[in-house]
Amino acid sequence: MYQYNQIDQTLVDERVEQFRDQTRRFLNGELPEDEFSALRLMNGLYIQRQAPMLRVAVPYGLLSSTQMRKLAHVARTYDRGYGHFTTRTNIQFNWPELAAVPDILAELAQVQMHAIQTSGNCIRNTTTDPYAGVAENELEDPRPYCEIIRQWSTLHPEFAYLPRKFKIAVTGATEDRAASQVHDIGLQMVQNADGEIGFEVLVGGGLGRTPIIGKSIRKFLPKQHLLSYLDAILRVYNLKGRRDNKYKARIKILVEALGPDEFRRLVEEEWAHIRDGELTLTDAEIARAKSFFTLPDYDVNAASADAHASLSDSLATDIEFNAWYRHNTLAHRVDGYRIAIVSLKPYLEAPGDITDSQMDAVADLADRYSFGETRATHHQNLVLTDVREGDLYAVWQALAANNLARSNIGTLTDMIVCPGFDFCSLANARTLNISDQINEHFDDMDHLYDLGEIRLNMSGCINACAHHHVADIGILGVDKKGEDWYQISLGGSSKEDARLGKILGRSVPASDVALTVEKILAVYVDQRRENESFAQVVLRVGIKPFKERVYATAH
Amino acid sequence: MPLLIDQRIVTEDPWQLLDQAALDEGSPIPENGPIAVPLIWYRQHREALQQRNSPLGVIVNGDDDLTALYADHSQLDLIAIEFPTFRDGRGFSIARQLVRSGFNRQIRALGHVTRDRLALMQSSGFNAFAINDERFQTDHLQAFSEISVNYQGTTADPRPIFRR
Repeated sequence: MYQYNQIDQTLVDERVEQFRDQTRRFLNGELPEDEFSALRLMNGLYIQRQAPMLRVAVPYGLLSSTQMRKLAHVARTYDRGYGHFTTRTNIQFNWPELAAVPDILAELAQVQMHAIQTSGNCIRNTTTDPYAGVAENELEDPRPYCEIIRQWSTLHPEFAYLPRKFKIAVTGATEDRAASQVHDIGLQMVQNADGEIGFEVLVGGGLGRTPIIGKSIRKFLPKQHLLSYLDAILRVYNLKGRRDNKYKARIKILVEALGPDEFRRLVEEEWAHIRDGELTLTDAEIARAKSFFTLPDYDVNAASADAHASLSDSLATDIEFNAWYRHNTLAHRVDGYRIAIVSLKPYLEAPGDITDSQMDAVADLADRYSFGETRATHHQNLVLTDVREGDLYAVWQALAANNLARSNIGTLTDMIVCPGFDFCSLANARTLNISDQINEHFDDMDHLYDLGEIRLNMSGCINACAHHHVADIGILGVDKKGEDWYQISLGGSSKEDARLGKILGRSVPASDVALTVEKILAVYVDQRRENESFAQVVLRVGIKPFKERVYATAH
Repeated sequence: MPLLIDQRIVTEDPWQLLDQAALDEGSPIPENGPIAVPLIWYRQHREALQQRNSPLGVIVNGDDDLTALYADHSQLDLIAIEFPTFRDGRGFSIARQLVRSGFNRQIRALGHVTRDRLALMQSSGFNAFAINDERFQTDHLQAFSEISVNYQGTTADPRPIFRR
């Protein structure tokens, strides 16, 4: 993974001291509240319902075991012993003291971490495929380009006060696991007719109040032009994006208002001034970035007959391990290795939450079994990407001992859920009680396995942090006269076939959410043909049969 | 209003900045001395202004159409860019485009100009900063060097980190 040089370290160290001084001036009354608000947000610090919330950046989801242990230390020392992984693969701490935040940042800087641009109207953490570099059907590892973008976007002097937040995702595999079509900019690695690899550039995707799928404005951007083209898009947006209404300030509104063709024309016009200029990536810079993401030293004996026999034996004798293997591990490019997913969706715990001791346990497993690295995923889980098949049983046992081995990846209970009203000051409704309700209602794992792959996402307000628009089953919490109600939509996807879900009908009361989901799933079971997934059935039959079942009057 | 130029406090500012409201009310244009007027006023009274034989500047903001200005600023010695609020960042891109168009005289930040954005403004092309009295402290000069690292390049040295 990328290692800071002296320059990178100097930047985060100086940023800590700068923020320490800003905090001091705010607490002294020298810095007005509205200015400090913008400055602290650009350092990941929110003032929430209960306390401040600090969001720490995990660039493109990659964490070393040293960093993971530091996060555990921060959770233990400055918070209440846990953190929460987000869909942008960052981690949030919910209970820090405002005055202690500079000290937390100083601790993070010791392990090449920070909270820079995890909030605020600036370029946020660039995200990517959690299986980058090990995924099958990958054109090229997108992480070197994420790192190039990270450096370019970090403390960019011109783009720190954009009309609104700005999110970039890069994906390199045929399966889009980075939700790139619902980002302000989605970069998809593609190959042109000459066999050259570059990027297709999508702009103006996003969720929130106005969910929109991104529009392709350039089918092929050669790699060397990556930064100059991003620069051109950002400049057009910075100058022309609306600033009169924060709900209409995202780039998607500008792209819709101008039309993708006119937006493209403006970008190309701006780009003509700077293409082939100083921002043009050199071969040396691309090679340097790639040098940090080389293949680990894979064990040539990982696929030995002994290793295979040991795995087969464990699979045959331990049905719980067998279920975990089937649902929480994936094929790896290298023979004898598997990708192991650490479920942060245990029974009746907040999705995405992780305790300090769990973080330490994952760090230990990463060190012992997966080259010292962990990835955070858009689905709020963690991944050990390079586990030898012969080690899987030991990894599973350790995860199970730490309540991290629930075999529910890809199933209904592998939900993306925002913290909701319990923590977030923007939320209209609670979410964690509903995720508990769904977990209690669907606690039979065999039933979940029979239902197959289903993405359920739940947001506590229309800001859609949990991406409910692009789930098979999307749940949106709404406030009706002081009571929590839930609007359900079906048929969304954030993958390569990205589409927005359709609203089923009027919202349901909190008490009926799981029952409603049960009715929806019953329609799926009735309608499905052999091997047909929930998503395929919704596409084929539409939402009408679901609607009829859910809103049928009782006889 | 303290003015910083080249990271020094300038006590003598020869420029008079005339705002639209004063001009609309019929404020007289001073006969001598450098003046800056809003871009719209400049376009309406360009010939008269140029006959004064004193340095001339314009005041612009993010709502102005600046295409013609980028094409021809040869008569201007100062372009002041207004920051209407703390969260409005259009001025950064305007300064960047001005420098790119070859303007190499004074680019002055005006309006909501405070310590915490000075370094970003300088990197984007500003070389003069007008700061309100009540928000000014002499330690503001340190703000320019709080962060010594710049990945992207600046208008002074446009090379990004990987070309240095």
